Amino acid sequence: MKKKYINLVNKSKWLRSEIFEMVVKVNQGHIASSLSQAEILISLYYSGILNIKKKNPKYKNRDRVIVSKGHSAMGAYPIFADLGYINKNELSKYGTPSGKLRIYGDKSIPGIETTSGSLAQAPGIATGFAYCSKLDKQNFYTYVILSDGEHYEGQLWETAMFAAHYKLDNLVFIVDRNKQIILGKNEKLLKLEPLRKKWESFGWNVFDINGHKYSELVPVLKKTRKLKNGKPSLIIANTIKGKGISYMEDVTRWHNTMPNDKQIQIARKDLLKNCIHE
Amino acid sequence: MSKNYLDFKRSSKFPFMRDVVIDKIYDKAKKNKDIFFSTPDMGAPALDEFRKNLPKQFVHCGISEQQMISFAGGLALMKKKIFCYAMAPFINSRCYEQIKCSISAMDLNVNLIAVGVGIGYADAGPTHYSTEDICIMKVFPNITIYTPSDDISSNIITEKIIKKDHFNYLRLDRDALPTIYKKTNFNFEKGYNFLNKKKNKICIITCGYLTHKALRICKDLHHKVDVIDLFRIKPFPKSLVSQLKNYKEIISIEEQLAAGGFGASIQEELSNNNVKNKVKKFCLDDKYYFENGGRDYLHNKYGLSSEKIIRYIKNK
Repeated sequence: MKKKYINLVNKSKWLRSEIFEMVVKVNQGHIASSLSQAEILISLYYSGILNIKKKNPKYKNRDRVIVSKGHSAMGAYPIFADLGYINKNELSKYGTPSGKLRIYGDKSIPGIETTSGSLAQAPGIATGFAYCSKLDKQNFYTYVILSDGEHYEGQLWETAMFAAHYKLDNLVFIVDRNKQIILGKNEKLLKLEPLRKKWESFGWNVFDINGHKYSELVPVLKKTRKLKNGKPSLIIANTIKGKGISYMEDVTRWHNTMPNDKQIQIARKDLLKNCIHE
Repeated sequence: MSKNYLDFKRSSKFPFMRDVVIDKIYDKAKKNKDIFFSTPDMGAPALDEFRKNLPKQFVHCGISEQQMISFAGGLALMKKKIFCYAMAPFINSRCYEQIKCSISAMDLNVNLIAVGVGIGYADAGPTHYSTEDICIMKVFPNITIYTPSDDISSNIITEKIIKKDHFNYLRLDRDALPTIYKKTNFNFEKGYNFLNKKKNKICIITCGYLTHKALRICKDLHHKVDVIDLFRIKPFPKSLVSQLKNYKEIISIEEQLAAGGFGASIQEELSNNNVKNKVKKFCLDDKYYFENGGRDYLHNKYGLSSEKIIRYIKNK
C-alpha cells in the first residue's frame, strides 16, 4: 500500500460500511451506485483539495460539491456527519420519519447544495454557481459528480456548451463511470462512447482515470484547480458499480435491489476487508 | 375577411408590454448588479440597450431553455434576482420539469416572462401557441401568475416583482395593447380590478388581451355587463369570491383550452367556497389549430366569437 494515501484508503473502508448499514437498516437507498462513487467523494472531502470549514456547511466561499446522480447523494451523508455538518445520530435515523436524511439529497439537508435526482439538472444549476463565483470574484470551485445515465439527457449537453462558452474553468465534473444504468450496460443499451471525444469536442479539458485509485484521483483533481485555461474540466473516473461487495460488483440487478439476510452477512464480511489499496 | 372586432393593430401608438417590462428591469439592473436577465434567443427593442450596457448581467443561454432554467436556479441559490424571458411555450412546457425541480421544488426566487400567451402568435400554429399554460403553471405550489393587459399594469407589476423575492410567472401578450389603466387606478395588491362596475346581473371576468375584448363587448352592450380584469389568477384573490357572489352569472373568457384553465380556476375557487353562482366559460375549442386568418378569425371560428358572447348575454 502506498503510504501517501493511507488515510484516504482507510476512509474507503469506513464509508462503504456506513453506507451499507444505513441502507439495510431501512431497506431504502442505492448501495451499488454509492459504492462506485466512494473514492470520488473521499478524494474531494479529505485530500485537502476543497476549501471548506468543518461544522459550517454554509461558509460563504466554500467550494461546492454536488452529487448530481441524486440517487447516490446519500453516499455523502456519513461524510457530512464526520465533518460536523449534521449530527452523527442522524445517520441512524436515515430514511425514518424523525430523520433529516433521505435517499435523494435535497437542499434542506446541511451539506447538500441543491436538490438533485432528476438527472442532468444539477449540472445546469452548478453553472449558476460557477458563473457567480467568477463574476463576484469569490473564486470558489464547483464540483459535480455525474452518472453515466445523465449523459442520455439532452440538458447535459446544453450545459456542456454553456459552461465552455462562458469559460467556466472553476467548474469540474466527475463522471462516476460505472458503465451501467438500471437495465444493463450502457454500451449494450445505448452507447455513450466515445465519451472523451464528445466532451473534448464541446471544449472541455478531459481526463480519464481509475476512479478507485487515490493515486490517480487526487493528482488529477489538484491539476484541474491549477489549469485555469478558460475551459471547464471533466474527469472520467472509471469505476465498478457495487465496488467492495463481492456479489454486487458489476452486476446489473443491484441498482436498487435490497440484499437478503444471508447476503447482508456476506457483504459485512466483504466490507471488513478493504477493497481499495492506493 | 371581415374587419377585426378589436380595431387596434400592432402599431407604434402603444408600447409593447415586453418593452415596458424590460425597460423597468434594465432601469433597476443598472443600479443593482445582482439583477440578471437570461433568454434562449428572444429579443425586444428594449433589450438591445440592456445587452450592450450590462453584458455581464445579460446571459444568452443559446436556444437551451432547460439549461436556462437550471442556470437560473443556480443564480437564485446564489441570492441573485433573475428574469428568464422567452416566447411563451418555450418557457413553460418546453422546460416544465426544470421549472418543477430547479425552481419550484426548492422554492427559489426566479421570474419567468412569457411572451405571446394564448394564440398571440396566431398564424404560427400550436408550436408557438400557449393555450394550456395557465393549467400547467398554476399547479406549482409557490408560483404567482400575473397577466397584465396594458403598459401601466405591466409597469406596476414589474416594479412590484423586482422588489419582492418570489417565484413569479409573468404572461405577456405579443401585441401592443391600448392603455386601459391610469397609474392611480391599478390596484396591484388586490389581484383584480373592476373595469365596469354598475351592479349588473352578469359580469365578464378575464385578463390580458381578452380584457380589451371584454371592454368592447361591454361597450356594445351599453355597459349592461360588469367587467373584471383578474390579472393575478394565482394566488386567487380572496376578496374576489365575495364580489362574484353578487352576480347571477359569471362569464369567463380565455384564450386557453378548457381543461384546468382560467375559467376552471374560477369555478374551482367558487366551488371550494360553496358559491353556487353559474360560471359560463368561453374558451378555445378543445383542439389544436393549423389555420391562417389571424387572431380574430380564430376567435370567431373556435369558441371566442364576440357575436356569440354578446348573444349569450342578451338572451339572459
